[in-house]
Amino acid sequence: MSDQAQPGPDTVTMVRPAGYAPAAGARARRFIPETGLQAAIWALVLVCVLAPVLPLVYASVQSKPIYAVGRVFTLAAYQQLFADPAFRTAALNTLEFAAITTGCSLVLGAGFAILCSRTDVPGGRVYSRLFITPILLPPLGLILGWNTLYGPGGYAHDFLNRTLHIPVNLTTVPGMAVLGTATAVPVVFLVCQAALSGIDTSLENSARSVGASPLRVLGRITLPMLRPALLNSGLLVFMLSIESLGIPLVLGSPQGHDLIASYLYNTWSSAITPDPPVVSAGATVLLACACLLLLMRSKLLGDQARFVSIGGRGGRSGAAGGMQLGKSLRVALGVLLGLYLTATTFAPIAALALSSVVSQLTPLIAPWHLFTLGNWRTIGHGTFAHSIVNSVEIALVGAVVTAAVVALATAVAHRSRFRLRRSLPFVLLFPRAIPGIIIGIGFFWTFVLVNPPGSALRNSIWGIMIALSVRSLTLAYFVMSAAFTTVSQSLDNAARSTGASWWTSITRITFPILRPALFVSFILLFISILNDYDPALFLVTPGHEIMGVAMLDAAQQGTTGPVAALAMVQVAITIAAIAIGGRLFGSTIRGNRNA
Amino acid sequence: MPEITVEGLSKTFGQERALNDVSFSVHDKEFLTLLGPSGCGKTTTLMSIAGFQRPDEGMISCGGRIFYDQARKVYLAAEDRNLGLVFQSYAIWPHLTVFGNVAFPLKIRRMKKDALRRRVLEALELVEMAGYAGRYPHELSGGQQQRVALARALVYSPTVLLLDEPFSNLDAKLRERARTWLKHLQTELGLTTLFVTHDQDEALSLSDRIVVMNAGSVLQAGTPEDIYHRPATRFVAEFLGHCNILAARAVTAASSGSTELVLAANGQPITVPGDDLAAGDEVQLAVRPEAVELTGHQPAAGENTYPAEVRTVSFLGDHYLYELDVGGLPLTVTSAQSFAGPAVTVRIPPSACRILPA
Repeated sequence: MSDQAQPGPDTVTMVRPAGYAPAAGARARRFIPETGLQAAIWALVLVCVLAPVLPLVYASVQSKPIYAVGRVFTLAAYQQLFADPAFRTAALNTLEFAAITTGCSLVLGAGFAILCSRTDVPGGRVYSRLFITPILLPPLGLILGWNTLYGPGGYAHDFLNRTLHIPVNLTTVPGMAVLGTATAVPVVFLVCQAALSGIDTSLENSARSVGASPLRVLGRITLPMLRPALLNSGLLVFMLSIESLGIPLVLGSPQGHDLIASYLYNTWSSAITPDPPVVSAGATVLLACACLLLLMRSKLLGDQARFVSIGGRGGRSGAAGGMQLGKSLRVALGVLLGLYLTATTFAPIAALALSSVVSQLTPLIAPWHLFTLGNWRTIGHGTFAHSIVNSVEIALVGAVVTAAVVALATAVAHRSRFRLRRSLPFVLLFPRAIPGIIIGIGFFWTFVLVNPPGSALRNSIWGIMIALSVRSLTLAYFVMSAAFTTVSQSLDNAARSTGASWWTSITRITFPILRPALFVSFILLFISILNDYDPALFLVTPGHEIMGVAMLDAAQQGTTGPVAALAMVQVAITIAAIAIGGRLFGSTIRGNRNA
Repeated sequence: MPEITVEGLSKTFGQERALNDVSFSVHDKEFLTLLGPSGCGKTTTLMSIAGFQRPDEGMISCGGRIFYDQARKVYLAAEDRNLGLVFQSYAIWPHLTVFGNVAFPLKIRRMKKDALRRRVLEALELVEMAGYAGRYPHELSGGQQQRVALARALVYSPTVLLLDEPFSNLDAKLRERARTWLKHLQTELGLTTLFVTHDQDEALSLSDRIVVMNAGSVLQAGTPEDIYHRPATRFVAEFLGHCNILAARAVTAASSGSTELVLAANGQPITVPGDDLAAGDEVQLAVRPEAVELTGHQPAAGENTYPAEVRTVSFLGDHYLYELDVGGLPLTVTSAQSFAGPAVTVRIPPSACRILPA
């Protein structure tokens, strides 16, 4: 460095003269006015989010399906719905299911989070990674795995019922809630763990230093501070529970135990007249409940969320500052955590894998006598093979499009002066509250109403892609908005000050800096779209199946082997995507550092 | 020609009035500093000129172009103002090399490749960073990043240069060197420059003129000497350097250009220049520590000369800082000489007293 050296006179004259008109050049480049572009992005997001909702509500107050002639406005569908005893039973079942699931997952999820981040339980760090695996695994695969293992005729079912004499029946409502709990625990765990890591352990340590016992600290300090996280995750789990479709379809429904979502699906698919308005009415009721819960959540968390984020500044928590459990308790809890993970996650997946290579999985005959590759051969052609290709295509294109749209929408929301920009975060959070089957039925009506391109979309895989993409908007926005806050606004202000338009500074400065986050959100969207299935159940047309739909159809017809093989394919693609994502993401970071 | 004029700028954030009728102008080739404590509105003013804050009222123009005029509903977007802006954080784009950073403004202007390359290298040479064209920002020191930011702001020949506390992230030694260097560059290029800082040393050493701001308002504008020696308010006096503020009351009406006052703290008489005070007026006197004459104990007393006692002495390298007690009046004095004390004599020359509005 030679700060003292003085610039020569010739360099001075070269930089100074303005031989061209800079500002005019910058303006010539702007073909579309900035506000127009931002308004277009805003409108696109709004249309995507409202597309499934408005036609659904409209369809629910019509006497016949929207495409039929001679329709009149009527509330008959609602009267019919509430008069149906099956609907009332399904509604009560749903409440019971959601209540058990929420209660149990709160206890387990919060307990595990406290154990893993506040005590010296052996393997706590490894467990805290493993606990969230069910979130990434295909939900349908997990459900089918549970059914294989714990369902009627499964290994564990017979062992528990006959050998241990513990009555286990997954097909009842409490039985389904056990599986519901297993899938909801990771959600509670993640939220509580995030909250705990934001709370300085010195708060707990100071309580212990004044003489409180560890249990007292837990009850008087830790749990009260977790209250907002518990409330938040509890409402979230409740919302997810009332829209559960896969669990009742695979387990309860065949035995006559329906939840609202499966009731609606069965009514839809087995109605004498196709596409009855009563299903739209039921879906509208479900949507209203979901919106009410979302509203309640934002109202309840309004003040408390602030309280959580203040804690985020606190010191690091971890094993170092944690409570010391006694030696035997330590080992016992460690083993218990391991058993829980095995029983809920790894054993079902293993059972699924085993089931895919035998002609029949039964405790009565040793599996090696029934070994076959026939299941894998079956899924190598026909509908199953098509569904794999379709799913991957939908997930790839959907993830790219969704990531791009949400990236632009986030840029409008966080990096523009567009008048309505503050409404975008709310709009983008809305799809999270819309149950999957509503997106399915809603888009079905949308494609009927807006035609063309409605039937072209419905008779291809792209209609399903749109529905699944809209459902994953919220996930993408979570990743994106977090990423945007890490990039200082001064970086794109700097681009604006040198003459760049909004579009140029977003595409040339902000997005390139956010490349790693864009990639992460692409991978997450790919996984989410690949493994999603409930909206597709209402949109699928012959020849355009996706994996989830093909699996559910086959499972309902009693085909187990090929379904297990297909589920394993889904698991394998998911794991591969995570692995590629992790590796590429790592190298991107390294590349940026070394470049 | 490129003269920035700011007139009647006002801005409120919620309940808080961030800018209150701010007016000043930067003349061609002038180095003007907005000086004030954090939150005084200086950065809001700068960002309003740059186009990143929209004021509620007022007018901003630059070299004949209206940037903003509330009355005429004119608001030019930041990218159309053609200003060079250096951010406090430098805002060097991490995904581009030094060359890429400096080339960006020219690429937007669709400059031909050869001309672009030549010009970028010239700009980098100007800030002595030509050898670092291929480096990425994280491979540079703070001082180097700052110079890249400057090259990026200069490469497209903007009409004026705006600097938002560009030295605040540098360590003390580097800051001094960067200061000399920037002043040199500015003079050589004849750049019209608006500089924002809370550092009085920076403001005094760099500026042709200083605008002192506090709580969203302009308190005083003038040359560094003017502001330092003739502060208009107590805030300005205290914000720039150390200053003793002495409360006093006029006893006789002014005669022959000077006034007799009595110091409130100890009842001692003091003579100050000026003849617009009436008997009984309460005033405050601003007295710079270095303007007070300090000698060893002397029995004879003259005009404005008082016996004093040394409370504490601090050695500050090139001078000593004395905290004195002048018969009940605390007084800070600096002197190159060391006095054993505790008894000393101080003289406050009438010319060193600046009368502030009470």
